[in-house]
Amino acid sequence: MPGNAFSLGVMRAVVHGIFLLSVLWTSFSALGALPATILRPTGVMKLLPWSCYVKLLTPGGMSILKWTMVLVLTLGALGILTSVSTKLSFLLVLFYQGLLRSFGHFNHDEMLAVYYLAILAFSPCGDAFTIRKSKAKVTRAGFVYSYPILLMWLLMSWAYFSSALIKLRVGGLKYLSPDNLPSLAIYHSLDNLHDTSFRLAFWLPEIRNYLPVAVGLVLCWELLFPIAIFVRRLRWWFLLFGIVFHVSTLFLMNIFFPYQLAMYLVFVDWESVRRYCQKRMDALAKSPNPQA
Amino acid sequence: MNLQSERRWITQYAILTLVIFLPLFWSFRYIRNLYPFTAWNVMMESGDPARGRSYYVLRGETVSGEIIDLRAAKLTNALYARNWTMVNATVDNQAFKLTSLHPDNLALLNQVGGLQNLPPAARIPDLLEAWGKLYNDKQSTTSPQRLKAVRLDMYRWESGRYSDYDKLQESWRKEL
Repeated sequence: MPGNAFSLGVMRAVVHGIFLLSVLWTSFSALGALPATILRPTGVMKLLPWSCYVKLLTPGGMSILKWTMVLVLTLGALGILTSVSTKLSFLLVLFYQGLLRSFGHFNHDEMLAVYYLAILAFSPCGDAFTIRKSKAKVTRAGFVYSYPILLMWLLMSWAYFSSALIKLRVGGLKYLSPDNLPSLAIYHSLDNLHDTSFRLAFWLPEIRNYLPVAVGLVLCWELLFPIAIFVRRLRWWFLLFGIVFHVSTLFLMNIFFPYQLAMYLVFVDWESVRRYCQKRMDALAKSPNPQA
Repeated sequence: MNLQSERRWITQYAILTLVIFLPLFWSFRYIRNLYPFTAWNVMMESGDPARGRSYYVLRGETVSGEIIDLRAAKLTNALYARNWTMVNATVDNQAFKLTSLHPDNLALLNQVGGLQNLPPAARIPDLLEAWGKLYNDKQSTTSPQRLKAVRLDMYRWESGRYSDYDKLQESWRKEL
């Protein structure tokens, strides 16, 4: 089983920290300036009454949401009051991400990170890697820390594996047609409403005969992701392929999945990283001072 | 850790696993996204240049008479990666096709006599006005770059070839 208390604590800091940085960087008041009449509540967001959205979707209302999120995510990232702060973080991020999807579409980038917040909210992720000093050392069985990490691995694997299966179910072998990638990539490069305006897509028709191989490779990578991820030797090759894949979709399609990429950090053996750093620091402390 | 505590964690994790994965399997089975449950159906339909696709370009007319491209991602950065679908949905009047409507949308529908009489892109002027104000808020009051109007141009790529991408279809303009 992967992970221990320290690894789980690091993942708590990483997931909360990424959402925290994103919230700090985002203009919530600009979002509040959009007309509520274009909102289309999605999924569980339909359970909230319109009066709630009307009150919230003002620059002031959104600023209150922002600073509440900043406070709660900071506590979660630092490991303070984690039994409460991680649950509040999960609920606030869940609501905020639902709100964004009610304006636009159900994009998948942040969804893994949202599920990771749910897992962290119901695990003892505040037992290590926190800034507070614990009053008494808690002793728990190893699986209590490693199972949440395993769940995160399974979720990542499911995301890629099910994505490949859906493509094959819907598109069938047509998905490997030479025109698939160029036409999708060009479509996403024509407007100025995407976040970036890379124009590499317009070069793809020139190499269209080679593209079925590239698309097939990506499908194989997605299908084999679950197996490879549990084989330590193959894991890093698969993650490297993932980085290349997600970066290439940015330049070819103006579509990027930064949250999903950041979640690759769950595969790092943080305990080994800690031991390595500790060893280096000990060696530095023991080495004779050349000025003495 | 005592046995009781260990059992409590096993039960908690079993419930957590089921609560996360059962709806995910349902979403996968029916290829349906029901927030927060996700079917990873990104790019599931294969692209075909013969199909024809519409797309939008957001522009502004400055007080000095210049036409400039506006980047929605800079105006409403919270919607990163979603501005383009927000425009698609607003042009398609999707906010008027919900089971529970915003009170103002319900009033507008009653006023015009139903969805069939609603003009296309009924809320696009409100969206353009919001974006225009957000842009102007970042300019000084005397800047020649301030906008006097915001425009959304709809183009269609329908040539079926990898050329002739920009056939102008329609334009919406909002004076600020």
